[in-house]
Amino acid sequence: MKRSTTVLTAALVLIALAAGGAIGWTRSHGGTAHPVAAITVDGKLVREIDLTEVTGPETFDVPGANGGSNTVQVEPGRIRVSAADCPDHICVDQGFISDGTVPIVCLPHKLMISISGGGEDLDGAAG
Amino acid sequence: MTARRDKGAGRLTRLALLSAIALTIFMVEAQLPAPIPIPGVKLGLANIVTVYAVVCLGPADGLMILCTRVFLGAVFSGQMMTLLYSAGGGLLSWLVLVPLARIFGRKQLWLCSPAAGLAHNVGQLLVAAGVMRTWAVLAYLPYLTLSGLAAGLFTGLCAQLVVERLGKLGE
Repeated sequence: MKRSTTVLTAALVLIALAAGGAIGWTRSHGGTAHPVAAITVDGKLVREIDLTEVTGPETFDVPGANGGSNTVQVEPGRIRVSAADCPDHICVDQGFISDGTVPIVCLPHKLMISISGGGEDLDGAAG
Repeated sequence: MTARRDKGAGRLTRLALLSAIALTIFMVEAQLPAPIPIPGVKLGLANIVTVYAVVCLGPADGLMILCTRVFLGAVFSGQMMTLLYSAGGGLLSWLVLVPLARIFGRKQLWLCSPAAGLAHNVGQLLVAAGVMRTWAVLAYLPYLTLSGLAAGLFTGLCAQLVVERLGKLGE
């Protein structure tokens, strides 16, 4: 095997391992004791919800960019997009999130829901 | 690497045909449900055509087919927002693929393509960070890294088969 081949293969394998490690790390460290969900549209904070203070299921509509709309549902400790009029519905398919591992993103409507630890737990993954 | 250099109508026909093939693959793939609910994760089968064109027709022709497919794909699928993401990812992966394909040659396309796939997803994520005006989307980077490498490996293997067979046919 040529040297350049070895170098590129090694680089790609290392990147893959680093990504796998990062996923494992955020999965095990993403938990937050006091989850606060922030809903932003086009980079602007629309609504902030303390998920520990949610008592029952509640839904509301969030108008997004490009005339779209997402229906957000909160339950005690977790949040999801329950319906959306975007074309791909990836935000709906993501389901509930309850920690800061990955945010929910609806790219067509520029909507994002991210969870942070409400102060005591800086969550580096989403930072 | 010997790129085929057609002139005039022959070249135009070849470019148009490959753009149509790429666009068809793109539209068919867009009908399939997303395998993993993370924005940006997909196989990107249309890039088999991109890789083939860059290697067999040259980087410039490859770029033209890529741009045509990305633009028309956004128009036909009615999602103009995807134009930004596809263009950002497509251009960055083209920038990575061209020198790598030159260094490694046709026999090792399967190795160059994962790097291009990775570049595609990184470019896409950077555009998303710009559009959403937040770096929080970078939380997806590890997932998109793995998916870009895997999708690139698959499309690269496909492209290699196409190049080996069509290469004999066209020259």
